[in-house]
Amino acid sequence: MKNYFNMQIPAIGENEAFLRNTLANFVLCLSPTVEQINDMKTAVSEIVTNAVVHAYEQASIVAESGKIDVYAEIDGKELYVKIADFGCGIDDIEKARQPLWTSKPDEERSGMGFTIAETFVDSLTVSSRPMNGTVVEIRKTF
Amino acid sequence: MIKDFQCSKNRLVISFCGEIDEFASRSLRVELDDLIERYRARQVVFDFKDVAFVDSTGIGLVIGRYKNSRNFGVELLLQNVPNNIDRIFKSCGLYKYIPKVG
Repeated sequence: MKNYFNMQIPAIGENEAFLRNTLANFVLCLSPTVEQINDMKTAVSEIVTNAVVHAYEQASIVAESGKIDVYAEIDGKELYVKIADFGCGIDDIEKARQPLWTSKPDEERSGMGFTIAETFVDSLTVSSRPMNGTVVEIRKTF
Repeated sequence: MIKDFQCSKNRLVISFCGEIDEFASRSLRVELDDLIERYRARQVVFDFKDVAFVDSTGIGLVIGRYKNSRNFGVELLLQNVPNNIDRIFKSCGLYKYIPKVG
């Protein structure tokens, strides 16, 4: 079975819960376990939160866009999710993926976002261009 | 969000409910600091029994309260952590700093 959806929504805090719960509903047709749903929600939430917190923090970028683009596809037993923003991008992806590293140490960020997301899916890739945005892709087999 | 709280014998138990993500943490942080400051109990316990979801921002929130509490000589503990949240806390080594007491 193949199924997909694509949506663009504002990169605001309210949409963190909306997106992870939408994805949770989307994969119901795969008869997932509760644990699999929770793992997927956790990973999606980490990625969306990164876009909300980091992508559009510069005022000039907010004025232009401030959107998150989500594409999700089910093919057989595999879920593929691509979450893209059009914000400031990540200068050093390797550093950003390190556990406990945060660009906002004064804001009580745990620096565990990418590490946790990676733990709960089969694969996670990040690509980014400064001032163009960031694309995160995850795959998880149910 | 905070479901309820009880303070007795220098022990403040704060029970959460719902989902603790980045958006929820924004107001929760202020509410928690107010409560902890107001009661000044020696021991503060966070109860997760009715929490459905926590992500890394929620962990940041807990660690932030731990750091603040430690400065005031307050002990922070966690209890009734559901399995799905327990896995996330364990993956970050949270219990090394903030013990789980049941």
